[in-house]
Amino acid sequence: MTAVVTGGAVVTATLDRLVRERATGALHGRAGALYLADGALVHAESPVVPDVGWRLTASGRLSRESWEEAVTEGGPDHRAGSLLVERGRLSRGELELCHLSALFDAAYFVLSPLDGSQRAPDRFLRGARHWFGPVRPVPVAAVRREVRRRRGLLERAWPCPELDVSPVVPVPAPAPAPRAVRRSPSGAVLAAADGVRTPTQIAGALGRSAFATLLDVRRLAAAGLVRTPAPGTPPPRRARPAAPAARVPADAPEIFLLQRIRDALEAL
Amino acid sequence: MTGIDGCLTEAMAIPGARGASLVDWTSGLTLGAVGDGPDGDHEASAAEAAELARLAVENGGFTGGGARHDGPVEELIVTARGSYHLFRYVATSFDSSVFLYVWLDRTEANLAVALFRMKDLATRLVSA
Repeated sequence: MTAVVTGGAVVTATLDRLVRERATGALHGRAGALYLADGALVHAESPVVPDVGWRLTASGRLSRESWEEAVTEGGPDHRAGSLLVERGRLSRGELELCHLSALFDAAYFVLSPLDGSQRAPDRFLRGARHWFGPVRPVPVAAVRREVRRRRGLLERAWPCPELDVSPVVPVPAPAPAPRAVRRSPSGAVLAAADGVRTPTQIAGALGRSAFATLLDVRRLAAAGLVRTPAPGTPPPRRARPAAPAARVPADAPEIFLLQRIRDALEAL
Repeated sequence: MTGIDGCLTEAMAIPGARGASLVDWTSGLTLGAVGDGPDGDHEASAAEAAELARLAVENGGFTGGGARHDGPVEELIVTARGSYHLFRYVATSFDSSVFLYVWLDRTEANLAVALFRMKDLATRLVSA
Protein backbone atom coordinates (compact mmCIF):
# COMPACT_ATOMS: atom_id res chain seq x y z
CA MET A 1 0.00 0.00 0.00
CA THR A 2 2.92 2.28 0.81
CA ALA A 3 4.18 1.88 -2.73
CA VAL A 4 0.88 3.16 -4.13
CA VAL A 5 0.84 6.20 -1.90
CA THR A 6 4.47 6.99 -2.61
CA GLY A 7 4.03 6.46 -6.34
CA GLY A 8 0.92 8.61 -6.34
CA ALA A 9 2.68 11.44 -4.53
CA VAL A 10 5.62 11.26 -6.94
CA VAL A 11 3.45 11.35 -10.04
CA THR A 12 1.42 14.21 -8.58
CA ALA A 13 4.54 16.27 -7.97
CA THR A 14 5.93 15.41 -11.41
CA LEU A 15 2.66 16.27 -13.15
CA ASP A 16 2.37 19.55 -11.23
CA ARG A 17 5.82 20.54 -12.39
CA LEU A 18 5.14 19.55 -16.01
CA VAL A 19 1.89 21.54 -16.03
CA ARG A 20 3.68 24.60 -14.59
CA GLU A 21 6.39 24.28 -17.24
CA ARG A 22 3.73 23.86 -19.95
CA ALA A 23 5.78 20.84 -20.96
CA THR A 24 5.38 18.71 -24.08
CA GLY A 25 6.33 15.03 -23.96
CA ALA A 26 5.39 11.59 -22.65
CA LEU A 27 5.35 10.63 -18.96
CA HIS A 28 5.61 6.88 -19.02
CA GLY A 29 6.05 3.78 -16.91
CA ARG A 30 4.79 0.23 -16.84
CA ALA A 31 1.19 1.25 -16.16
CA GLY A 32 1.12 3.26 -19.40
CA ALA A 33 1.86 6.73 -20.71
CA LEU A 34 0.43 10.22 -20.49
CA TYR A 35 1.19 12.53 -23.42
CA LEU A 36 1.26 16.23 -22.67
CA ALA A 37 1.30 19.17 -25.07
CA ASP A 38 1.85 22.62 -23.55
CA GLY A 39 1.06 21.17 -20.14
CA ALA A 40 -2.35 19.69 -21.10
CA LEU A 41 -3.15 16.00 -21.54
CA VAL A 42 -3.56 15.16 -25.24
CA HIS A 43 -3.28 11.37 -25.22
CA ALA A 44 -3.06 8.49 -22.78
CA GLU A 45 -2.46 4.81 -23.23
CA SER A 46 -2.43 1.82 -20.96
CA PRO A 47 -1.76 -1.84 -21.78
CA VAL A 48 -5.07 -2.79 -20.10
CA VAL A 49 -7.22 -0.29 -22.02
CA PRO A 50 -8.52 -0.77 -25.59
CA ASP A 51 -7.06 1.97 -27.78
CA VAL A 52 -8.98 4.16 -30.23
CA GLY A 53 -8.16 1.92 -33.19
CA TRP A 54 -9.47 -1.19 -31.50
CA ARG A 55 -12.63 0.58 -30.28
CA LEU A 56 -13.39 1.75 -33.81
CA THR A 57 -12.57 -1.49 -35.61
CA ALA A 58 -13.92 -3.99 -33.02
CA SER A 59 -17.29 -2.26 -33.27
CA GLY A 60 -17.19 -2.33 -37.06
CA ARG A 61 -17.29 1.47 -37.24
CA LEU A 62 -14.06 1.49 -39.26
CA SER A 63 -12.54 -1.20 -41.42
CA ARG A 64 -9.07 -2.36 -40.50
CA GLU A 65 -7.90 -0.90 -43.83
CA SER A 66 -9.28 2.60 -43.13
CA TRP A 67 -7.64 2.61 -39.74
CA GLU A 68 -4.27 1.42 -41.02
CA GLU A 69 -4.39 3.92 -43.86
CA ALA A 70 -4.80 6.77 -41.34
CA VAL A 71 -2.01 5.42 -39.14
CA THR A 72 0.39 4.92 -42.04
CA GLU A 73 -0.31 8.21 -43.78
CA GLY A 74 -1.10 10.47 -40.81
CA GLY A 75 1.13 8.88 -38.17
CA PRO A 76 4.50 10.24 -39.32
CA ASP A 77 3.11 13.80 -39.05
CA HIS A 78 1.36 13.05 -35.73
CA ARG A 79 -2.08 13.51 -37.21
CA ALA A 80 -3.61 10.06 -37.75
CA GLY A 81 -6.76 11.13 -35.87
CA SER A 82 -7.51 14.27 -37.86
CA LEU A 83 -6.81 12.42 -41.11
CA LEU A 84 -9.76 10.14 -40.34
CA VAL A 85 -12.00 13.21 -40.27
CA GLU A 86 -10.45 14.82 -43.36
CA ARG A 87 -10.96 11.62 -45.34
CA GLY A 88 -14.61 11.52 -44.24
CA ARG A 89 -14.14 8.23 -42.35
CA LEU A 90 -15.41 9.74 -39.08
CA SER A 91 -17.21 12.91 -38.03
CA ARG A 92 -15.30 15.34 -35.85
CA GLY A 93 -17.75 14.48 -33.04
CA GLU A 94 -17.09 10.75 -33.33
CA LEU A 95 -13.35 11.31 -33.23
CA GLU A 96 -13.66 13.50 -30.14
CA LEU A 97 -16.05 11.20 -28.27
CA CYS A 98 -14.04 8.05 -29.01
CA HIS A 99 -10.68 9.66 -28.28
CA LEU A 100 -11.81 11.33 -25.03
CA SER A 101 -13.34 8.08 -23.86
CA ALA A 102 -10.07 6.22 -24.53
CA LEU A 103 -8.00 9.05 -23.02
CA PHE A 104 -9.87 9.19 -19.69
CA ASP A 105 -10.05 5.39 -19.60
CA ALA A 106 -6.27 5.00 -20.02
CA ALA A 107 -5.46 7.94 -17.73
CA TYR A 108 -7.44 6.23 -14.97
CA PHE A 109 -5.33 3.06 -15.16
CA VAL A 110 -2.06 5.01 -15.48
CA LEU A 111 -2.79 7.10 -12.38
CA SER A 112 -4.57 4.33 -10.47
CA PRO A 113 -2.77 1.12 -11.57
CA LEU A 114 -4.52 -2.23 -11.09
CA ASP A 115 -1.34 -3.75 -9.80
CA GLY A 116 -0.68 -1.80 -6.60
CA SER A 117 3.01 -2.71 -6.69
CA GLN A 118 3.39 -1.04 -10.07
CA ARG A 119 5.29 2.19 -9.92
CA ALA A 120 3.52 5.28 -11.14
CA PRO A 121 5.01 6.65 -14.38
CA ASP A 122 8.17 8.50 -13.53
CA ARG A 123 10.12 8.88 -16.76
CA PHE A 124 9.47 11.89 -18.95
CA LEU A 125 10.43 11.76 -22.59
CA ARG A 126 10.60 15.46 -23.36
CA GLY A 127 9.33 16.51 -26.75
CA ALA A 128 7.66 13.14 -27.49
CA ARG A 129 4.43 13.43 -29.42
CA HIS A 130 1.93 10.67 -30.09
CA TRP A 131 1.30 9.62 -33.68
CA PHE A 132 -2.47 9.90 -33.20
CA GLY A 133 -2.16 13.67 -32.77
CA PRO A 134 -3.98 15.99 -30.38
CA VAL A 135 -7.79 15.98 -30.57
CA ARG A 136 -9.19 17.82 -27.59
CA PRO A 137 -6.61 18.68 -24.91
CA VAL A 138 -7.77 18.13 -21.33
CA PRO A 139 -6.44 20.04 -18.30
CA VAL A 140 -4.50 17.73 -15.98
CA ALA A 141 -6.57 18.96 -13.01
CA ALA A 142 -9.76 17.74 -14.73
CA VAL A 143 -8.18 14.32 -15.31
CA ARG A 144 -7.23 14.06 -11.64
CA ARG A 145 -10.75 14.99 -10.52
CA GLU A 146 -12.14 12.32 -12.84
CA VAL A 147 -9.75 9.66 -11.53
CA ARG A 148 -10.88 10.45 -7.97
CA ARG A 149 -14.54 10.30 -8.96
CA ARG A 150 -14.07 6.97 -10.74
CA ARG A 151 -12.32 5.47 -7.71
CA GLY A 152 -15.29 6.59 -5.62
CA LEU A 153 -17.79 5.07 -8.07
CA LEU A 154 -16.06 1.68 -7.91
CA GLU A 155 -15.87 1.83 -4.13
CA ARG A 156 -19.54 2.73 -3.79
CA ALA A 157 -20.67 0.10 -6.29
CA TRP A 158 -19.06 -2.79 -4.38
CA PRO A 159 -15.95 -2.28 -2.24
CA CYS A 160 -13.92 -5.25 -3.49
CA PRO A 161 -10.82 -4.24 -5.50
CA GLU A 162 -9.89 -7.94 -5.92
CA LEU A 163 -12.70 -8.13 -8.50
CA ASP A 164 -10.76 -5.80 -10.81
CA VAL A 165 -7.91 -8.27 -11.31
CA SER A 166 -9.63 -11.63 -10.86
CA PRO A 167 -11.28 -13.85 -13.46
CA VAL A 168 -14.96 -12.95 -13.71
CA VAL A 169 -16.91 -15.98 -12.52
CA PRO A 170 -20.66 -15.88 -13.15
CA VAL A 171 -22.78 -17.22 -10.32
CA PRO A 172 -24.93 -20.09 -11.58
CA ALA A 173 -28.36 -18.60 -11.11
CA PRO A 174 -31.46 -20.73 -10.54
CA ALA A 175 -33.26 -18.31 -12.85
CA PRO A 176 -31.83 -16.36 -15.81
CA ALA A 177 -30.40 -12.91 -15.05
CA PRO A 178 -33.05 -10.20 -14.74
CA ARG A 179 -34.17 -8.79 -18.04
CA ALA A 180 -32.70 -5.39 -17.19
CA VAL A 181 -29.24 -6.94 -16.84
CA ARG A 182 -29.49 -9.06 -19.99
CA ARG A 183 -30.31 -6.07 -22.15
CA SER A 184 -27.90 -3.54 -20.62
CA PRO A 185 -24.20 -3.15 -21.49
CA SER A 186 -23.35 -5.10 -18.36
CA GLY A 187 -25.27 -7.97 -19.95
CA ALA A 188 -22.58 -8.16 -22.64
CA VAL A 189 -19.95 -8.24 -19.90
CA LEU A 190 -21.80 -11.01 -18.07
CA ALA A 191 -22.16 -12.96 -21.31
CA ALA A 192 -18.39 -12.64 -21.90
CA ALA A 193 -17.57 -13.81 -18.36
CA ASP A 194 -16.12 -17.29 -18.80
CA GLY A 195 -14.49 -17.75 -15.40
CA VAL A 196 -11.05 -17.20 -16.96
CA ARG A 197 -10.91 -13.65 -18.30
CA THR A 198 -10.43 -10.70 -15.98
CA PRO A 199 -12.54 -7.51 -16.37
CA THR A 200 -9.90 -5.74 -18.44
CA GLN A 201 -9.48 -8.80 -20.68
CA ILE A 202 -13.24 -8.78 -21.24
CA ALA A 203 -13.05 -5.05 -22.02
CA GLY A 204 -10.30 -5.82 -24.53
CA ALA A 205 -12.34 -8.55 -26.19
CA LEU A 206 -15.41 -6.29 -26.45
CA GLY A 207 -13.54 -3.09 -27.43
CA ARG A 208 -15.30 -1.51 -24.48
CA SER A 209 -14.15 1.01 -21.87
CA ALA A 210 -12.05 -0.83 -19.28
CA PHE A 211 -13.28 1.38 -16.44
CA ALA A 212 -16.93 0.89 -17.43
CA THR A 213 -16.28 -2.85 -17.47
CA LEU A 214 -14.75 -2.76 -13.96
CA LEU A 215 -17.81 -0.86 -12.79
CA ASP A 216 -20.14 -3.37 -14.48
CA VAL A 217 -18.36 -6.26 -12.78
CA ARG A 218 -18.54 -4.57 -9.37
CA ARG A 219 -22.26 -3.96 -9.86
CA LEU A 220 -22.84 -7.50 -11.09
CA ALA A 221 -21.05 -8.75 -7.96
CA ALA A 222 -23.20 -6.49 -5.78
CA ALA A 223 -26.27 -7.98 -7.48
CA GLY A 224 -24.98 -11.49 -6.76
CA LEU A 225 -24.54 -12.36 -10.45
CA VAL A 226 -20.74 -12.58 -10.28
CA ARG A 227 -18.74 -14.33 -7.57
CA THR A 228 -16.87 -12.05 -5.17
CA PRO A 229 -13.31 -13.34 -4.53
CA ALA A 230 -12.11 -13.62 -0.95
CA PRO A 231 -10.30 -10.48 0.28
CA GLY A 232 -6.59 -10.52 -0.48
CA THR A 233 -6.90 -13.09 -3.29
CA PRO A 234 -3.84 -12.57 -5.50
CA PRO A 235 -4.47 -12.13 -9.21
CA PRO A 236 -3.50 -15.23 -11.23
CA ARG A 237 -1.22 -13.19 -13.47
CA ARG A 238 -0.96 -9.68 -14.72
CA ALA A 239 -3.92 -8.76 -16.87
CA ARG A 240 -3.13 -8.18 -20.51
CA PRO A 241 -5.45 -6.75 -23.11
CA ALA A 242 -6.91 -9.22 -25.56
CA ALA A 243 -6.80 -6.53 -28.25
CA PRO A 244 -4.14 -6.92 -30.90
CA ALA A 245 -1.38 -4.35 -30.74
CA ALA A 246 -2.09 -1.37 -32.96
CA ARG A 247 0.27 -0.71 -35.81
CA VAL A 248 2.41 2.31 -35.15
CA PRO A 249 4.69 4.19 -37.51
CA ALA A 250 8.32 3.15 -37.49
CA ASP A 251 9.50 6.36 -35.85
CA ALA A 252 7.04 6.29 -32.93
CA PRO A 253 8.50 5.49 -29.50
CA GLU A 254 7.59 1.83 -29.03
CA ILE A 255 7.30 2.17 -25.30
CA PHE A 256 5.09 -0.84 -24.71
CA LEU A 257 7.16 -3.10 -26.91
CA LEU A 258 10.28 -2.16 -24.97
CA GLN A 259 8.45 -2.73 -21.70
CA ARG A 260 7.23 -6.15 -22.81
CA ILE A 261 10.79 -7.11 -23.75
CA ARG A 262 12.04 -5.93 -20.37
CA ASP A 263 9.24 -7.80 -18.58
CA ALA A 264 10.13 -10.95 -20.51
CA LEU A 265 13.83 -10.58 -19.65
CA GLU A 266 13.03 -10.03 -16.00
CA ALA A 267 10.82 -13.11 -15.98
CA LEU A 268 13.71 -15.34 -17.14
CA MET B 1 -21.04 21.23 -37.13
CA THR B 2 -17.48 21.07 -35.79
CA GLY B 3 -17.49 18.44 -33.08
CA ILE B 4 -18.46 18.87 -29.45
CA ASP B 5 -18.02 22.65 -29.38
CA GLY B 6 -20.09 23.15 -32.53
CA CYS B 7 -22.84 20.91 -31.17
CA LEU B 8 -23.01 22.83 -27.89
CA THR B 9 -22.95 26.22 -29.62
CA GLU B 10 -25.90 25.14 -31.74
CA ALA B 11 -27.67 23.77 -28.66
CA MET B 12 -27.44 27.22 -27.04
CA ALA B 13 -29.32 28.62 -30.05
CA ILE B 14 -32.40 26.55 -29.10
CA PRO B 15 -35.01 29.05 -27.83
CA GLY B 16 -34.89 29.23 -24.04
CA ALA B 17 -31.56 27.40 -23.66
CA ARG B 18 -29.61 28.48 -20.58
CA GLY B 19 -26.93 25.84 -20.61
CA ALA B 20 -25.83 22.81 -22.60
CA SER B 21 -23.35 20.04 -21.98
CA LEU B 22 -22.24 16.65 -23.25
CA VAL B 23 -21.97 14.21 -20.38
CA ASP B 24 -20.72 10.64 -20.02
CA TRP B 25 -23.36 8.76 -18.04
CA THR B 26 -21.01 5.98 -16.91
CA SER B 27 -18.91 8.29 -14.77
CA GLY B 28 -20.64 11.69 -14.78
CA LEU B 29 -17.75 13.28 -16.66
CA THR B 30 -18.52 16.52 -18.51
CA LEU B 31 -16.95 16.35 -21.98
CA GLY B 32 -17.91 19.92 -22.84
CA ALA B 33 -20.22 22.62 -21.51
CA VAL B 34 -21.45 26.09 -22.52
CA GLY B 35 -23.76 28.63 -20.90
CA ASP B 36 -24.85 28.26 -17.29
CA GLY B 37 -25.23 25.07 -15.31
CA PRO B 38 -28.15 24.55 -12.95
CA ASP B 39 -26.92 25.61 -9.47
CA GLY B 40 -24.19 27.54 -11.29
CA ASP B 41 -22.01 24.46 -11.63
CA HIS B 42 -21.91 22.32 -14.77
CA GLU B 43 -19.77 19.56 -13.31
CA ALA B 44 -21.85 18.90 -10.21
CA SER B 45 -25.15 18.98 -12.07
CA ALA B 46 -23.71 16.78 -14.85
CA ALA B 47 -22.70 14.13 -12.32
CA GLU B 48 -26.22 14.10 -10.87
CA ALA B 49 -27.86 14.13 -14.29
CA ALA B 50 -25.62 11.23 -15.31
CA GLU B 51 -26.94 9.11 -12.47
CA LEU B 52 -30.50 9.64 -13.70
CA ALA B 53 -29.47 8.97 -17.29
CA ARG B 54 -27.81 5.71 -16.31
CA LEU B 55 -30.79 4.48 -14.30
CA ALA B 56 -33.10 5.17 -17.23
CA VAL B 57 -30.90 3.56 -19.86
CA GLU B 58 -30.33 0.43 -17.79
CA ASN B 59 -33.95 0.10 -16.70
CA GLY B 60 -35.31 -3.02 -18.34
CA GLY B 61 -38.85 -1.81 -17.81
CA PHE B 62 -38.28 1.03 -20.29
CA THR B 63 -36.47 -0.95 -22.93
CA GLY B 64 -37.37 -4.60 -22.43
CA GLY B 65 -40.29 -6.72 -23.41
CA GLY B 66 -38.96 -7.62 -26.79
CA ALA B 67 -41.97 -6.11 -28.56
CA ARG B 68 -41.32 -4.38 -31.86
CA HIS B 69 -42.02 -0.92 -30.49
CA ASP B 70 -39.44 -1.26 -27.70
CA GLY B 71 -35.85 -0.21 -28.06
CA PRO B 72 -33.15 1.85 -26.42
CA VAL B 73 -34.12 4.92 -24.41
CA GLU B 74 -33.70 7.99 -26.64
CA GLU B 75 -34.48 10.95 -24.42
CA LEU B 76 -35.47 11.99 -20.92
CA ILE B 77 -37.67 14.96 -20.11
CA VAL B 78 -37.67 16.50 -16.66
CA THR B 79 -40.09 19.37 -16.18
CA ALA B 80 -39.67 21.66 -13.21
CA ARG B 81 -41.88 24.65 -12.44
CA GLY B 82 -39.55 27.12 -14.11
CA SER B 83 -37.37 24.97 -16.34
CA TYR B 84 -36.96 21.96 -18.57
CA HIS B 85 -34.06 19.56 -18.29
CA LEU B 86 -33.78 17.58 -21.51
CA PHE B 87 -31.47 14.64 -22.14
CA ARG B 88 -30.83 13.21 -25.58
CA TYR B 89 -28.71 10.05 -25.78
CA VAL B 90 -26.02 10.10 -28.47
CA ALA B 91 -26.02 6.81 -30.37
CA THR B 92 -22.60 5.69 -31.66
CA SER B 93 -21.63 2.42 -33.27
CA PHE B 94 -18.47 2.24 -31.13
CA ASP B 95 -18.54 1.97 -27.34
CA SER B 96 -19.66 5.20 -25.67
CA SER B 97 -22.14 6.40 -23.06
CA VAL B 98 -22.84 10.06 -23.79
CA PHE B 99 -25.90 12.27 -23.68
CA LEU B 100 -26.61 15.85 -24.67
CA TYR B 101 -28.04 17.75 -21.72
CA VAL B 102 -29.84 21.06 -22.28
CA TRP B 103 -31.30 23.18 -19.51
CA LEU B 104 -34.03 25.56 -20.70
CA ASP B 105 -36.09 28.40 -19.30
CA ARG B 106 -39.65 27.09 -19.36
CA THR B 107 -41.25 30.45 -20.12
CA GLU B 108 -39.15 30.87 -23.28
CA ALA B 109 -38.78 27.28 -24.44
CA ASN B 110 -41.03 25.16 -26.62
CA LEU B 111 -40.69 21.54 -25.58
CA ALA B 112 -41.40 20.03 -29.00
CA VAL B 113 -39.04 22.40 -30.80
CA ALA B 114 -36.27 21.79 -28.26
CA LEU B 115 -36.58 17.99 -28.52
CA PHE B 116 -36.62 18.12 -32.30
CA ARG B 117 -33.50 20.28 -32.40
CA MET B 118 -31.68 18.11 -29.88
CA LYS B 119 -32.43 14.96 -31.86
CA ASP B 120 -30.97 16.61 -34.94
CA LEU B 121 -27.88 17.81 -33.04
CA ALA B 122 -27.20 14.42 -31.44
CA THR B 123 -27.50 12.75 -34.84
CA ARG B 124 -25.30 15.19 -36.74
CA LEU B 125 -22.61 15.13 -34.04
CA VAL B 126 -21.80 11.55 -34.96
CA SER B 127 -22.63 11.55 -38.69
CA ALA B 128 -19.66 11.58 -41.02
